[in-house]
Formats: sequence, structure tokens, C-alpha cells
Amino acid sequence: MQQNRRGLGPLSRRTVLIAGASVIATRAFGAPDAKGLGTAEQPVKLRMIADAAYANAWQAGMVPEFNKTYPYINVTIDPVPYAELLAKIMLDATAVEPVYDIIVADDPWVPQIAQTGALLDLRKETAAWTAKDYDWDDFNAAPLAATEWKGIQYGVPFRSNMLLMFVNKTLYKKAGLPVPTAALTWDEYLAQAPKLVQDTNGDGTVDAWAIDTYFKRDQLTPTIWQAIFNSYGGQLIDANNKPAFNDEIGVKALKIHVELLKYAPPGSVSHGYSEALSSFRQGQAATSFMWGSVYRNSAVDPKTTKLTPEEVGIQVMPVGSAHAGAHRGIASGTIQSKSAHKEAAWALLQWFSSREGERWHSNTLGGFPARKSTLTSKPDSDWLVPVFAALQQGYDTAEAGKMWRLRHPKSDAVQQVLADAVAAAISGQATPEAALQTASTRVEKILK
Amino acid sequence: MAILRATQGSARHPRIERLADFASRWAFMTPASVILLAMLAYPIIYTIEISFSELDLSTFTATNWVGWDNYAEVLQDERFWASLKVTGIYLGLALPLQMVLGFAIAYLVNVEWTGRGVIRALFLIPMVVAPVVAGGVWRMLLDPLYGLTNYALGFVGLGPYDWLGNPTLAMMTIVIIDTWRWTPFIVLIATAAILALPRDIFEAAEIDGANWWTTLWSITLPLLLPMIAATFVVRWLGAVKMFDIALASTNGGPGASTQVINLFIYEEAFHSLKFAESAAMAVLVLIATMVLTALFLRGSRMLEEMH
Repeated sequence: MQQNRRGLGPLSRRTVLIAGASVIATRAFGAPDAKGLGTAEQPVKLRMIADAAYANAWQAGMVPEFNKTYPYINVTIDPVPYAELLAKIMLDATAVEPVYDIIVADDPWVPQIAQTGALLDLRKETAAWTAKDYDWDDFNAAPLAATEWKGIQYGVPFRSNMLLMFVNKTLYKKAGLPVPTAALTWDEYLAQAPKLVQDTNGDGTVDAWAIDTYFKRDQLTPTIWQAIFNSYGGQLIDANNKPAFNDEIGVKALKIHVELLKYAPPGSVSHGYSEALSSFRQGQAATSFMWGSVYRNSAVDPKTTKLTPEEVGIQVMPVGSAHAGAHRGIASGTIQSKSAHKEAAWALLQWFSSREGERWHSNTLGGFPARKSTLTSKPDSDWLVPVFAALQQGYDTAEAGKMWRLRHPKSDAVQQVLADAVAAAISGQATPEAALQTASTRVEKILK
Repeated sequence: MAILRATQGSARHPRIERLADFASRWAFMTPASVILLAMLAYPIIYTIEISFSELDLSTFTATNWVGWDNYAEVLQDERFWASLKVTGIYLGLALPLQMVLGFAIAYLVNVEWTGRGVIRALFLIPMVVAPVVAGGVWRMLLDPLYGLTNYALGFVGLGPYDWLGNPTLAMMTIVIIDTWRWTPFIVLIATAAILALPRDIFEAAEIDGANWWTTLWSITLPLLLPMIAATFVVRWLGAVKMFDIALASTNGGPGASTQVINLFIYEEAFHSLKFAESAAMAVLVLIATMVLTALFLRGSRMLEEMH
């Protein structure tokens, strides 16, 4: 026994055990993960977390396309339902050893995640790996600004969404109304709405309504109210970081949102994203205020819609006293600052947000681009032409009216307060005035 | 002398034996105790610690001690009280309904009839359906335009009802879904309890000429009372934690009419990232639940003693 110990020389038993365990672990779990962009022998393994609404399509389509250029970067995308996504991102971002190299964050989340120190300063930290032809200035200002916080760029637009107005032209024609244009005002829209609640097949039963959109208690429901509010020149907070929405404009906008419910299908008070989309795709709603990225499945793909591109119009939301209505919702790619694979992660971000990546994304999956050059180019599919025009219009409108959710580390808490207020007014549990008064007090407390 | 030594030896032995017995008992108990402490006590202690602190989101650890501040904030928040009220309404409607239905169905199912086994097996289905799926399916069934429920009610001249859009009906919807899910659980327990009742008492009652109602009211129910009370406590502990059904079917709406306390805590923690205040709420709810459970258990014991 003593001989054996002497035979180990200066190595302690602990060292030998650790070394042995390392060998076993290496053999059990394969070769150690590679650095850089990987090699055939040692590929890089990237993990990405994204909204389940599009993560699966990216895994099936985008990853193989990316691997044509970067064959040694294996990408696994974990789909998470939107409602749980921020919580999961935050829990992982604050972990000692985070799982995810790439975080796909929604528009208002970046300040919150960045505050934890979990995000990489892209312009500074990835400069050495950035291609010379990667043109930052080609991005529209509105989508790029979604991941800018306190002067630092934390991400690049992956899926640039805008809240826009979808129009069923057939139902407008059946009601004897002109198909709306981008100049349509809220007053005109509301004046036309009663006529759009109609019996289209003459059986004596109403089977089509003017609108279906977010009405239920949901964090995205206040985006409708806010788009109306912004179109009348309102802003959520003032220069002193205090709530500025509890005024005449805020109340007027909320009354309009509540009034929309009169012209929506029965039960719409519990409608959100899925239900509103379903009504529109079934041809039961003449309009829907919805995220533009659903256009393909609402107008093009016969497996998911009864409508055709010829009968579905897309444009900015009606015009208030200041602007048309719109609301920004950009899903952006960011890199975890503790990632061991920053170069590979940036390769993916760079490729997917490049002109080439954007074109592939919009032509193949119907994803919305953020680059001016992509939006002015001729897309492969004809249906994308009016969509690109509406999207550019939406970016310009959002930029002019600052139409986005609050950019603050506590934006999600504020959004929850607004969701409660809008839901209370829509359900009739509070007047618009009382709902906004309560919300204003609570938001002020949160922002202190 | 020899006798004295023998006595001393035998006096030492029991002590050693007792020590060995103590050591061997703890050798078996220690792993379970450690696991129990880690899995149960640690999260509770951590929650209590957070409830008295500020939480640093970048490290996810409690930092500054803030005393009772989080509790004061929670107690001043009218939404907390509103969600407690909603929870009280839900419990007040769901629990009695489930208890009555569960024991009534068990009583009926207990009668000998063909296909009883199949029905018992079918009863298990709602319990194993994921709450999110149950919520989604019920949403479709209760849809005002396409739902089967309104369609069926239309044949008897009722409706259409906006089950998820009307604040009162939305609460009823939650109660209906929860009852659909959990009544089978009570049926299972009640069936076992009814089968375990002593036959001779019923035979004696039959000989004495007791009718169906007298047998039920004077024999079955008193004999079942301790089991009813115990089942109520078990179901109460499950129901007080409910939030998945509300999340999946109404998300607390319309307005805040179905925002039960656990859904509120979840939203405050994971949407608003107010973990410290949420921890304070969780501790308050834990205390209230423990107090009420103790009262129910005491009531249950009193019933056992009475019968």
C-alpha cells in the first residue's frame, strides 16, 4: 500500500481522482466543445432560446441554411411559449453557468436583461469578427433601436414585427364601403364599423364583424391602446420619467379600444392573439390589428387561412390627430456575455441579420426584414411587395411617434399594470378614467 | 463478586445496545432527512429570507435586509386583497360542489350494475389531463360562437352565453373546469370509504325496516363523516394552490375577475419580476393556509370523536 502511494509520486490522490473523472467525463460526453467557428473534428455547439411561435421553423429551416456557410456550428433552438419566455431568459441569464449562448429577446426586454450584465456589447466586443460588408447603417432606425440601451448596441433585429392593420377587402366590398387606405382616420374607421357587422350569406344571422384583436387580459393588449394613444400624440412617460398617459388623450384612446369591442365577434372580450387571428383567417373579421409577421399564414398559406393575398390588405393602423397608428415589436438576437462561443454566436447573428440572411428569411419563412436595402429590393414572392411597403411605412410611423413599449428595466412590470388597466376598462370593471388613474399611480411607484 | 460483575456487564450492554440502535436508526433516517431538508425546508427558508430582503436580479440572491417593508407593501396593495377575495369565491364555490358531487357519484357508482368498472376507469381521465390542455379544450367547448356548450344549450332555449367574457360566468367556468378535473379524485376516495363501511350495521338497519333515506342519513353519512372531513382537507390543500386552470382558460380575466392569489403571485414574480414582494405574499398565503388547515383538521378530529 505504501509502495503504491510512493509510486504516484507528487500527485495527490485527489488529483488522480479529478484527472480520472475528467477522462471518464470526456469519454462519456464526447470531445470538449470547440472555440471559434469550430472544425469538423470539434464543432461548436450553440444553444439559443426563442419564442415557440417561430423557434421550430428556425430550427427546421434557418439552421440548415446557416450550416451551408458555417458547417461546424451546431445550433439547438429551445422553443418557449411567449408568456414564459422572459422569466426563463432571466433565470438563465442570472445563472452562474448560463445554458444559452444566444437569447432572442422581445422589444421591451433588453434593458431588463442588460441590467443584469448578461448581454454582450455587440459593436465593441465583436468588432474583430465582423465582416467588412456588414452594414449597420442599412438597418432602419426603429428596429435597430429595439436592442440599444444607454448607448450600447446589444442585439440585431431577427424578426422585425410591427402592429399593423389587416383588411379583409371582400368584407368591405360586401358592406358597400371603400377599401381603406393608409389615410383612414379613427373617426372614419369607427363610423364605418357598424356597417361591417353584417350578415354576408343572407340567412338572417350576423356572420361577419368589423374587428377582432387583443381584448383579453394580456401583456400585449395594451399595445392596441398605446398605438391609438400614440396616434393622437400621446407618450407613456414624460421627460422626468413620470407617467404621462393619464390625460384626455389616454382616456380617449382607451374609450376607442373599448368601443372596438362593440363591433367584434361575441366573446371577443376574451380574445387575444390566437382567437383574433382565427376570426380573421376564417373571414369573419373585416379588420384586425395584428402583428404583421402573421401575414403569410393569414393571406397566403391555404392550410392556415381561407383568404388569399388579393383580398387581404395590410397597412398602418388608422390615423389620429398626430400620426397613423403602429407599434414596434422586434425580436432581436443577443449574445450572452458569459457564452464560451461568442465568435460562433456572432457568426449566426451576423448571417441571419445580413442582407443575405434577411432575404432568405423573408422569402422562405415570411420573416420581416429590418434593412432598408431588403425592403426596397424585389422579393421572390409577389405577396411580399405590399407587405414590404406597409412595413417600411410602419417603421417610419413608429420612429416618428416613438411607438414602442416602455424602455426601462422595469418595463415588464409597467406593461402588466397597463394590461390590468386596459382589461379592467374593457371588461367594464372600471371606467377608462379610473383604470388609467390607478395605472398611473402604480406606474409612478414602479418607476421611482 | 462474580454476580456483581455480571450485573455490571449486563448494565453496560443495554446502554451500548441503545446507542447502536440510535445510530442505526439515524443511519437510515439521515439520507431521507437531508433530502427532505434540501427539497422542502430550504426553499421555504429561502422564500422567507427573500421576503425580508431586496433581491438582486443579476445574482438572484437576497441583498439588503428591508424588514417588514415587502409585507407592508403587499398588505397595502388592493390587488392582493382582491385576488384573495377571488380565491375565496372560487374555494367557496368549488369545494362544496366537488365534495357533494364526489360523494354522491361514489354512492351511486357503488350500486351493483353492469359497466360500473368501465365508468370508474373513465372517471380517471380528467385527473390525468394536463391542466393547460384542459383549459384549452374547455375554452373551445365554451366559445360563444363555435362552442359545443352553447350549441347544446340552444336546443333547450338557453344562451348563448359568453362564458369567458362575462366576469361572473368566467368564475363559473373556472369552477366547472376545476370540478370536472377533481371530482373524480373525490369519487375514488369516497368509493373506497363506502366499500370499507361495516356491512352488519346496514343489514341490521334493513332488518329494522330502515328505508333508503334513513339508511343514508342516519348510518352512511355519520359513518362517512370523518372520511368526508379528511377528503375535504386534502382537496382544500390542492384547491388553494390552483392557478394553472385560471392561467390556461382566462388568464385571470376578464378584468381581474378570475385572478386567484397564486396567479397574482406568479405574475408579480415572473412578469413584473417583483420576487421579494411575491415571496412576502407567498409567506402570507402559506401562513393563512396553515392556520385554516389546522382549523379544518381540528374540526375533522372533533367529527371523528362525535361519531
